[in-house]
This record gives sequence, structure tokens and C-alpha cells, in this order.
Amino acid sequence: MVSLSDYLILSSVIFCIGLVGIFVNRTNIITLLMCVELILAAVNTNFIAFSHFLGNEAGQIFVFFILTVAAAEVAIGLAILTLLFRVRGSIDVDVTNSLKG
Amino acid sequence: MGSEQIIFYFLSFWLIASSLAMIFSRNAAKAVLFLVLSFFSVASIWILLEAEFLAITLILVYVGAVMVLFLFVIKMLNIDKSTLRAKFAGYLPLGLIVALIIIAEMTLVLGNAQFGLDVMPAPARHGADYSNITELALQLYTTYVYPFELAAVLLLIAIIAAITLVHKKEINRKQQSISEQVNVRAKDRVRIVSITSPSKENK
Amino acid sequence: MEQIYLTIALAPLVGAIFAGFFGSLLGRMATTVITIAGVLISTVLSFYVFNHHVLEGGEVFNQNLYTWMQIGELNISVGFLIDNLTAIMLVVVSFVSLMVHIYTIGYMHDDAGYTKFFSYISLFTFSMFMLVMSNNFMQLFFGWEAVGLVSYLLIGFWHHKESAVEANLKAFLVNRVGDFGFLLGIALVLMYFGSLDYVEVFASLGNVTGVTMLDGTSVITVICILLFIGAMGKSAQVPLHVWLPGSMEGPTPISALIHAATMVTAGIFMVSRMSPMFELSETALIVVMVVGAITALFMGLLGIVQNDIKKVVAYSTLSQLGYMTVALGVSAYSVAIFHLMTHAFFKALLFLAAGSVIVALHHKQDIREMGGLRKKMPITYWTSLVGTLALIGFPGFAGFYSKDMIIEAVHFSQLPFSDWVYVAVVIGVFITAFYSLRMFFLVFHGESRMDEHTASHVKESSISITLPLVALAIPSALIGYLTIDPMLFNGWLDNAITVAANHTSMASLEANFHGANGMIPHALQTLPFWMMVGGIASAWVLTLYRSQWADWIQKKFHRSNYVLESLYGFDRFNDIVFVGGIKKLGNFLWKVSDSGLIDKILVNGSARFVGFIASIVRPIQTGYVYHYAFFMIVSLLIILTWVLFAGDNPLLEL
Repeated sequence: MVSLSDYLILSSVIFCIGLVGIFVNRTNIITLLMCVELILAAVNTNFIAFSHFLGNEAGQIFVFFILTVAAAEVAIGLAILTLLFRVRGSIDVDVTNSLKG
Repeated sequence: MGSEQIIFYFLSFWLIASSLAMIFSRNAAKAVLFLVLSFFSVASIWILLEAEFLAITLILVYVGAVMVLFLFVIKMLNIDKSTLRAKFAGYLPLGLIVALIIIAEMTLVLGNAQFGLDVMPAPARHGADYSNITELALQLYTTYVYPFELAAVLLLIAIIAAITLVHKKEINRKQQSISEQVNVRAKDRVRIVSITSPSKENK
Repeated sequence: MEQIYLTIALAPLVGAIFAGFFGSLLGRMATTVITIAGVLISTVLSFYVFNHHVLEGGEVFNQNLYTWMQIGELNISVGFLIDNLTAIMLVVVSFVSLMVHIYTIGYMHDDAGYTKFFSYISLFTFSMFMLVMSNNFMQLFFGWEAVGLVSYLLIGFWHHKESAVEANLKAFLVNRVGDFGFLLGIALVLMYFGSLDYVEVFASLGNVTGVTMLDGTSVITVICILLFIGAMGKSAQVPLHVWLPGSMEGPTPISALIHAATMVTAGIFMVSRMSPMFELSETALIVVMVVGAITALFMGLLGIVQNDIKKVVAYSTLSQLGYMTVALGVSAYSVAIFHLMTHAFFKALLFLAAGSVIVALHHKQDIREMGGLRKKMPITYWTSLVGTLALIGFPGFAGFYSKDMIIEAVHFSQLPFSDWVYVAVVIGVFITAFYSLRMFFLVFHGESRMDEHTASHVKESSISITLPLVALAIPSALIGYLTIDPMLFNGWLDNAITVAANHTSMASLEANFHGANGMIPHALQTLPFWMMVGGIASAWVLTLYRSQWADWIQKKFHRSNYVLESLYGFDRFNDIVFVGGIKKLGNFLWKVSDSGLIDKILVNGSARFVGFIASIVRPIQTGYVYHYAFFMIVSLLIILTWVLFAGDNPLLEL
């Protein structure tokens, strides 16, 4: 039998992989956005695991909304990315440093 | 090892492998495709957890729309064709250490002692006529109808925002300003000048 | 009676207010009438008060009229103490003030600030009345400062003249130095006696006689010396005398009113008023006497080399003030007041006569350019003669009685140094006669040294100028003869002045007094008389008979001449030491302390320090998102570790 802790540890591993991806990645911004998606997926798994083991649908409802918000966020994020590409000419992460002090 | 466990480990393996492959791949399109594979694994795990509706929704909405959107943007900006240097060297060891520490600590919290089978027993599986959608809908449209509506508004805002951000205004376009036209006064347009006619001068 | 005293004080104030604020509205005629009416009322009432108190032996009036403030147990009020001393001072001040008011009509006739001048001199009269009539130290100080202020305003009356502005500033500042000592004295009085009222202080003098301060000096001595420092400033004793010659920059009427008859005598009045206190301290009396003697002798010497007609009279005033101070020092307070009274009359007369000459010569003041005015200005000539004779102590005139009494009092005094002081005041008689007659002869006798234009315009001055001259000449001649007996020996000042039993000058004077008539032939046997004759003779020889001898003496003694003409270097000393010192201190404080320390180091320095810290902290903002994410994750790790293992309630045990 798969225990709850297995699911939770799995989701934490995916979470950490997403975190590492954010600050290890030097390639481009799209990868950044995709790591954010990974993180959200890990959190969703967490919710559903708890919902299953506790017999409560509230967890799944919450995942529903997280999916909605994630979709909206991706849409806007990609719009910003397009603008950035229009202005800067590339989406290299090193390009976006004009807010440095 | 029960069949459930075997399936679980199989799916976990692919999930972790494709995630790692995604973050270490140099080609953006390949990264997207690895992410798609990850999501499929995640969806399968959700089915294992008896959340069928959400699993299918994940595939349809997330993979089908969002990932496709990613691919659109990548192809539009030609990122996969351009040469991008991947610089991993500096932060990688540090990042791995930090990640491992986080995982270790979270394992301590989420481990068998707290959430193992003796603490949280596996629930009974539902029967064949259990409809996940009905259960969700019963909750969603009664108790949680207000957040549902808000989520709809949120999506509307996202659409408007995305369009507004990238919308290019056409230049050299003359537009009528109705209020200005209505507010015009005679003396801005007409000036009356008195000129003596030449015939009268000669007299 | 209370109403009368109030009217005496307030009538000139009302005149001053009208003239000051509404002068331009009312016009010259109305202003003149109002102010002179105010002073005339005060004069008439002062004579009435004099009659009531002195001649008819009225009671001493001591009442607080208005409580100014009550601080804990200390009560400071406006009150009047009217005894014989006050009555005499009231008569002197009001009469001279009235004469000056009348004189001003003619003197300031052409001046644009006519009404302002009347306002100021009426205000001065009010202040002097408040000073003289006060019954506590605070009101005395108020009157003290007020006369100083009006003196400042009047010296700088022609404020477009730079020398006048410098002079009035000098007068105010030097007076300030004196007032500082005065204020310290008043503070000590308050501290040790607990009250500022005269009567209360004098009543409790016995409690404080044994008390000492400042390792061994008696408190009374310190108080007396400090109060005398105030008198030194106001009555222009050495070294605080430097302002009086400069005050001649003001119009002549005020030189007569303020710097001859009234303000400068405030110090003398104050010491007389404090006679119960001064009698308890012999040290203070010695100081007073010696300072007075120095002033009398050395200022007289300076009068010899002056060429401005007003400056001669100014140094003469300084010297006579020294005589009064000497009289105070030998405990002959009534003699000092007597000399104060006679001096007020004849010195005011001399100043007004000088002013008459100045006006006739169209504001020329150098006596080397005058001469032979005897025929052209007869009234001025005869009144000046009376005044000069009074000043030098010619037998029969007022100054003779008062000055000789002073010299006799010094002769009888037992104080240490009194022998030297006696020598000084006797020599002073010679010097006084010399410079007075020198000026008289140079101005009125001899050949005319005026230029053509001035000589053709010289004529006697108008009645408004000559009337006061005559009115002042009469007391200068007669008042000494008439009042010496009652004032000194028959108790006119008894209820105001206390003399200790061991200071026997007055007693000896009384024992040797032969009456006013008897003094005149007796004078022929005394040294001062022959000193005076010698002075007259030398002056006649050196100015009229053989003036080339005067030039020879000046060349032969050129070093002494230089010392005298540079006024003993007091002004240069003050300039270098005090003014220069303060300027250097100010410069130092500005450049080093203010600009360098506060501005550069503290203010700018702290700003630069903040900028420095900021420049170190700023590079943390790199602009890269992954850096920020990294910091966030590491922070998350730290928080996680903290919550799990450390802190108050760790979730897990290690």
C-alpha cells in the first residue's frame, strides 16, 4: 500500500526540482516559467493526496482553482515575455537586469 | 509489493526523470516536451488517487492549452533555433546542496512517523458507480459557488490584460475627437477683415 | 499727595507720547505747547513737593502703587519713596529739564526732527523721575535703563552722521558694562536680603554685616562695589568714562540735560540713596574715593588740550563728577548732593551758552576759530561768565561753596589714601580754572579769528535761547549761598542719608563752618583759592597776553601733549583688546566651529557616511531574478530549519 507520506515526499521532491530549476537555469525565461508550472503541479499533487486520504473534496476543489490561476498566470507571463522580446531582442535571463541598484 | 506500489514507483520515476531532463535541457522545445511528459505522469498519479476529473482536466487544459501556448511562443520567437549558451557552472553545486537539504528536512516532517499507514490509514476505494464529477459538482456549485464566479472573472481579467499588454497601437492613425469638434468656437475658425474695394478708392 | 507724585511722573510721559506718535499730525506749535506744558506742570508740582517735604518738614512718603509681579515671596512693584533727597532731585531735574525744553524751541528750530526731539526729552524726564522717586531696586533699574536708552536715542539723533551713530553705540555699550555690575549687585541684594524694597533692605542690614563670600570679603563690600560699578558706567568714572566725550555728537540741549545735569548724576544719587549700606563698608568707600579722585584729576588734565567747545565742557563735567564721587567716598553725602545741585545749574548753563555760540556761528565748534564774541553776544557773554566763575569756585558763587566743602571734607577724612586724594583735588582746582578760563578767553576775548562770512552773521541768539541762560545764571550765582547751611548742616537731608559715627568728615565740617558769609573772607586763607587764582592768571597769560608761550610749552612737552591728546589711550585699548578680541573669537567660532565642525563634519559628514553605507549595500540588488529567487529559497531553508529544530517549540527533536 502506498502511504500518504510517499505521495507527500514525491511532491516535495518535485517542488525542489522546480526550485533548483529556477535558480540554476541560465538559459532563458521560458524555462523559468516552466519550472513555476512544475512547482504548481507538485502542490496540486499534495492537495489531492490529502483529499484522498481524508475523504474530503475540498482539496480537489482547491486544485481546481489553482489550475485556473495557473492558466491565467501563464497567459499573462507569456504576454510579458513577448513584450520583453520585442524590446530587448532576446530572452536571455542576463538581459533583464536593468533594475539593478 | 502490491501492484499499486509498482505503478506508483514507475510513475514517480518518469516524473522525476522528465523533470530533471526539462531543467537541464538546452533546447526550449525539448524542455516543453519533457514538461508535457511530466504532466502526463502527474495526471496518472492523480488517477491513482481517484481524482479522475482533475486528471483529465490537467491533460486537456494544461497540456492541451498551456503547453501548446508555450510552444507557440517558442516557435514565434525562434528561441529553439537561436544559439543560447547554457551556463550552469556557478550555482549548480550550491543549488543541489540547498535542494537536498530542503528535501531532507521535509522528509523528516512528512515521513512515515507522521503520515505513515498506521497514522493515516488508506481509505476504502470507491465503488464502480462512484462519479467523481458529480461529487465535485455538488460541492462546487453550492458551497464554493462564489470562488467559482471569482475564478471566472479572474480569467476574464487575464484575457483583457494579455491583449492589452501586447496590443500594438497603429501609428499615423487620425481619429476624430468628438468633444473637440463640438467645443469649437467661431473665432477660432473665422476672422473678419475689412478691406476697402479698389473701385471705391479710385473715386 | 499721591496724585501729585503721579502727576509729576506722568505729565512728561503724556507729553512724550503726544509728541512722539502724533507730532507730525499736530504740528510744531501744538507739540511744543503740549510737552512744555507737561514739564511745566511737573516743575511747579516739584516745587510744591519740595516745599511740603523740605521746608515744611512733611512726612516721608513710601508706598507701593502697583504690584508689577509677585514671584513666590518676592514682591516687585512700582512705588514711590519721597523724602527730602528725592524732593531736591525732583526740583533740580524738573527745573533744568524745563529750561532745556524752552531752549530747544530756538536751538532745534531748523531741524526736521523737531517734534521727535521734544518727545525724547520729555521721555527722558519721565524716566529720570521714575528713577529718582523709586522705592525699590527694580524700579531704580528700570529708570536706569530707560535713561540709558533715551540717551542712546538722543546721542544718535542725527543718525545720518556716522560719528553720531558710533558714539551712541559706544555710550550704550559702555553703560551696559556698568549695568552688568549693577545687576550683579542687585542680584546679590536679592539673594542676601530676600527683598528689593529699600526700606526692607536697610532694615535688615544688621543681619548681613557678618556674612562673607569669596573667601573673606564681606558681602556688603561686594554689593557696594558692584553697585558702584553701575554708578561708574552711568556717571562716567574712569575707566568707563569713554562714552561721555563721544556723547557730544548729540545736539547741545541734550548735552546740557543729560550729560551734565541729570543722567550722569544718577550714579551719585544712587550711592547717596544707598548710604546706609555704603557706610558699613570702608573698603567700598575707599574704592569710591580713589576712583573719583583719579577721574577728577586726569579728566581735568584732558580738558586743557581740547579744542572743541563742547568737549572742553564735557571733560569739565567728567572732572566735576569725579569731585562728587570723592565726596561720596569720604562719607560727605550731603556735600556730594549739594555739589550735584550747583553743578547741574552752572554746567547746564555752560552747555547752553556753548550751544548759543555754536548756533550763532552756524554750527562751528572749534574754539581756535572764535574770539572777540564779547561785544557781539552780550547776554551769552555775561551768563557764561557767571557760569565759569561758578565752575572754578570763585568766592560767592555756587560752585565755590560746594567745591570748597568737598575739599575740606577730604581734608578731614581719616580714610587711607585720603592725603593723596586731597592733593589731587587741590591740583584739580588749578586745572579747572585753567581750562575754563582758557576756553572763556579764546571764545569771548581777544582778536576775532573767525572767517569773514561767519563774522558778519554773528548776532545774539533768540529769546528762547537766552531766556534759559538767564534763568540758569541766577541759581548758579545764588543757590550756593542760600542753601549751604540748611542742606549740609541743618538737616535738609537728614531723613535720607545715614552717616556712620566713625566717619567724621561731616562732623568736622560742621564744627569748622563759619556760615556762608564767613566762608568768603576765610577763603582767602585757603590753598584752593590761590590755586584758582593761579589758574586764572596762567590762562590769561597763555591765551591773551603771550600766546606764543603756549605754543612753546606745547612743543617742549610734546610727549605729555601726545599722551593728553590721545586721551590716555583708553579708546585704543578698548578697541584692540575688547573689540579686537571679540572679533577674533567670532571669527574663530565661525570658521572653525560653525563652518568646519558643524557644517562639514557633522552635517555633510553624516550625509556622506549614509551614502557610503548605501554604496556598500546597493550591489545586493543585482537585477537578476534568479539571484532574488535564490535568496528567497535560502531564507525559506533557514526558516524551515529554525521552525523544525530551534526556536521555542521545535517540531522535532534532534
